[in-house]
Parts: sequence; structure tokens; C-alpha cells
Amino acid sequence: MSEPRTQPSGLTKWVVTLPPTAFLLTFFLATALIVVVAGFRETGEFGGLAPIDSLAALTLDAYHFLGGDVIYLEIFARSFLVAALTTLICIVLAYPLAWLIARSPKRRRDFLVLLVILPFASNFLVRIYAWIMLLGPVNLLYTPFAVVVGMVYAHLPFMVLPLYTNLEKHDPALLEAAQDLGANGWTRFWRVTFPLSLPGIFSGSALVFIPVLGMFAVPELLGGTGDILIGNLIKEQFLENRDWPLGSALSIMLTVCVLALAGLTAWASKRGLHGTEAVT
Amino acid sequence: MSPPYHQCRVFALILSAALLLASLPLRAADTLYLYNWNNYISEDTVKRFEAHCRCQLKQDYYSDNEEMLAKLEAGAVGYDVLVPTGNAVESLVRRKALREIDKAKLPNLRNVKREFLDAWFDPGNRYSVPYATSVTLLGYNASKMKELDLPTDSWALIFEPKHLQKIKGRVTVLNSQRELMAAAMKYLGYSVQEHDPAKWGEAKRLILRAKPYWAAFSNSTYIKDLAIGTIWVAHGYSNDMFRAQQDAAAAKRPFTIGFATPKEGAVLAVDNFVLHKSGRRPDLAHQFIDFMLEGRNAGDVSNLIGAGNPNAAATQHILPEIAVSPGIFPPPAELQRLEMLRDFDPKLRRSLSRMWTEIKVR
Repeated sequence: MSEPRTQPSGLTKWVVTLPPTAFLLTFFLATALIVVVAGFRETGEFGGLAPIDSLAALTLDAYHFLGGDVIYLEIFARSFLVAALTTLICIVLAYPLAWLIARSPKRRRDFLVLLVILPFASNFLVRIYAWIMLLGPVNLLYTPFAVVVGMVYAHLPFMVLPLYTNLEKHDPALLEAAQDLGANGWTRFWRVTFPLSLPGIFSGSALVFIPVLGMFAVPELLGGTGDILIGNLIKEQFLENRDWPLGSALSIMLTVCVLALAGLTAWASKRGLHGTEAVT
Repeated sequence: MSPPYHQCRVFALILSAALLLASLPLRAADTLYLYNWNNYISEDTVKRFEAHCRCQLKQDYYSDNEEMLAKLEAGAVGYDVLVPTGNAVESLVRRKALREIDKAKLPNLRNVKREFLDAWFDPGNRYSVPYATSVTLLGYNASKMKELDLPTDSWALIFEPKHLQKIKGRVTVLNSQRELMAAAMKYLGYSVQEHDPAKWGEAKRLILRAKPYWAAFSNSTYIKDLAIGTIWVAHGYSNDMFRAQQDAAAAKRPFTIGFATPKEGAVLAVDNFVLHKSGRRPDLAHQFIDFMLEGRNAGDVSNLIGAGNPNAAATQHILPEIAVSPGIFPPPAELQRLEMLRDFDPKLRRSLSRMWTEIKVR
């Protein structure tokens, strides 16, 4: 690796990074803290939060309520299952597609990538409504199947793009070398391409798994009466039920789960990288 | 590719154009801002009002009270008039979010039927004027019900397995915790304003027992499903049932749609005009409410969506098939058996939400 050509001066670095840092601190950290605190407060008489005068007014009520109840655990488990299934299907569908794009002639690649992101040009809800029309006549609407289909559809590009970015960088010489050493097609994929693509799979999985966990629009529109996920539960607490502390507590529990998973992914992806180093 | 500074200029241009557009409404002096339900005022009425007041009426829409309350709670300002349901009026009054009505400016207030004035959510009508009503009841395929010999005047139709087994998979209920649990409470002979969680627990068990027979929880698709005949019984709003009835008749279906208020009683919703404190034009707002209280204008909402009407002067302007429908205009004796939903304290709200989650998941 060559040294970076120029090192930005300390001042420039500050000037450039201050606005985004300030933005993140204000609008991400502060809002997150508001949610954390809301989870320990009491519900106001007509929704929202009860006024707070001292620290003693903080309460663990919302967490007690959630903790003592298996039904909420069930919904968490179900959400993780849907997210895992969606991620798995996305990997299976996206891998060949990303590989195909990465192996196409250079000038066609950009066009194919454009096709992958083209659906984003139209509104997400409109596209989900299109699924209502597709699934309705074949009697698959309002089923868990429809929810997973909708989730896979909505998140597939987020798996294709990181995978493509990864696969595109692979040096074809590696595969040629493997072939020269007598590896057949399957071995070449399994021992060379796949381990090298693990970082792509991990970042794609994070981009799919985490948003699916919090998604409420897809189950609401495509799912049946029992197909509610954590996202729906949280939304219900803030809108229909106006129970902000409970909604906040649910959000925090979800965030903790997601952070734990993201940490796990980062750790696994690092190990994956070490693994590939061993191969190369 | 154009050089970056060029892109910047284009961006700046778009931005300034957007700012200009955004600032325009502020300069339009005579504009009344109405935060209203979807499809709740006919375009004709709007045009007539605009001609009458020589001002503009701008509407934003919501599809349920919670959405409106949540938006106001989050700090939305500038709406002159809102159209909340009774329980939401109470909530707004308690939060001191409303401006008192100056009755001297509302000569047409005398048109409102006495039984709709002085409601529990606003004694003396200091803040609210009733505009339209609906009853949550049962709509049904009258031909099928006759064929299967099922009672259409009782909640038993959607809660009793002995009836439900004849219509399994042909029933929808509202996807609304408050409405569905209220129907179950009424069937059990309790008040919908009951505070005892044990009684609500009974309602939950009643619902869970009936749920396997229901096709879906639906808030809007039942209109179409009833009209085309795929659903035979639906729990829903009187104005929606009226529409399903009209649609089925217009399509010359071989069956008719009926709707009736169950004899055990049901939920009555009264929507009211109120003035929000943040409104800038209380003068126009009073003018608007008084205009809407005139018989013809008040009648429009019944003709438009089949809403019930608390306005006595409106009756002569309402289409006869709507005016005589007991589901839309409950006779005085029936009115006694109707109850309005009321907001609960946080603790009961939380346990009802827990029951609802269980109903959904089980």
C-alpha cells in the first residue's frame, strides 16, 4: 500500500467534518436520547408524556410491562425470523444477479446497475400496492408469504449492490490460477469467489436485516391479521394507542438487539476477511 | 458532465424557487385552513363557501382522530377549524388546545337538533358544534341472511359460533381496537365506557372465540366486498354500508345489502367543528361554521357520503332514501341505546392495547 499523497491539515479536517458531526450529534444522538428517556417516563393523561418534575418520576413500568409478557417476546422472535428469512432469500437471489453484472462487459455494467436501482425512482408504497394487485387474484394476499415476498422485493437491491461492488473487484487471475491448479467450477466458487465475497454478503445482510426488523408498512399492507411485527407494534403505541413510553421501550429493545447484531456482523466480517487472507 | 459550479447554480435556483412557492400562501390574506376528514365536504359546498366569504378554503386531510391528534401534539399550527369526533374533542378541550366559540356569530346554531347539543364531551357547547354522525353497526347481504335464516338485528351474528359456522370466512370486522372491543362489550351487555379490565377481558375472550370464523379485519375493503358479494356480513360504519348498498344496487347484483343497528346497542360517532387556538382567522372560521349550519350546506354531507345529520334544517335537503334509513338516522328510541367512545386513562389504555395485540397474534 502506498502512503496517502497529502495529509489534510488539522484545521481543514475540523472545518470539513464539523458540520456533519454536529448534525449527527444533534439529530441522531439527541433524538435517540429523547427516546431512551421517554421509555422511563409515564404516559400523559391524553397520550404523549406526563410532565416530569424530578428524577423520581422516572419509572421502569414500561419495561416491567413488556418483560412480564410472553406475547411481546413472541412478536420479537417472529420479527427476527422474518428478517432472517428475508435476508437469506435476498442472498440466494442477489448472488447470481450480482455475479452476472460483475462479469458483464464494462460498458453494460453501469446500465445493469441502473436497472437494479430503477425501482427506487417510483414511490415505495405504490410498488407495494402493485404487489397487492399481483397477489390478490392468486389468493396469496394477507398471508405471511406475502409479507416475506414484499420484504424481499423491497430490500433486494440493498443486497445486490454491495455484493456487486465486492464481486466486481475480484481479480480474474485468481480464478485462472485456481483452474491451473486443477480446481473445478464448484471448487473455484466455493474456495475462491465465495470467501472473497463474504464482506459483501455481510454488509448486504446488515442493509437488509436491520431495516426489515423495523418495517411496518409491508406487513400492514400485505400481511393478514396475525402478521404483525415489532414495527407495527411500535407504530401502534405512538399513533392508535398514544402510549409513548411503551413505544419508546419497544424501540429501545429493538435498537439494542440490532446493535448487538451489527456488532456480531462486524466481528464475523472481520473474521471472514482474515479467512480470505488465508486463502489468498 | 456539467462543471460542479453549474450544478450548484441550478440547485440554488431550484431552492430559491421552492422557498418562493412556500412563502406564497402566507401572503394570501383571506384563507381559511381546515383540517378535515377525507371526503367530508363536497366540492360544491366548498365553492359556494368560497364565493360566500370571498376567501379561500384550504384543506388538509386525516383518516383518523389519532392521526390528527398526533400531528397537533407534534406542534402543527395554523389550522383554523378541525373536525374531531367526540372523544377527541374532550381530549383537545382538556389540553386547552381550542378557542371558545362565540355563539353570537352563529345564528344558525338553532338548526342543530337538541339531542346532539350539550354532549358530555363539551357541556354547553363552549367549543364544539356537531356536524355529522355515524353508527358502527352490521352490514349484511340481505338475500343470504334470509336464505340461511340468520338474525340481522344482533351482534350474535358476528360473535356466536352457532351463527358463524354458517358464514365462516364470509365475515369481516373493523381493524380497530376501540370499535371491535366496543361491539363485543355491547353484546355482553356492558357499557363501552366501562372501566373494569375484567369485563374487557371477557370481551377479548368473546372475540378470540369468534375470530377463527372471520375472514379479515378490514377498515375499508368491506365496502367493495359486500357490494360484489364475496363478504356476507361486515362490522363497519353506517355511511360505508350505505355506499355498499348503493354500489350493489347500481351494479344490479342479484342480492341486496342491508344494514341495521344491533338491538344490544352500538357506537355512535359525532364529528364536530372546533376552532384550534393556533388558527389565525377566527372570524372566517365562525363564518364557515355558520355557513355549514345552513340547511342546504349541512345536508350536503349526508348526500355526499351517507352520513347522519344532527341538523334539523338539513332534513328537507337530504335525498329521501338516506333520510329514512334507520341505520343512518337512528330513531329517538334507538339513540338511547347508542354510546360514544371515550378516552381511557393510560393504565387501561395499555392493558387494552395488550389485549388487542393478543387478539391479533393468537
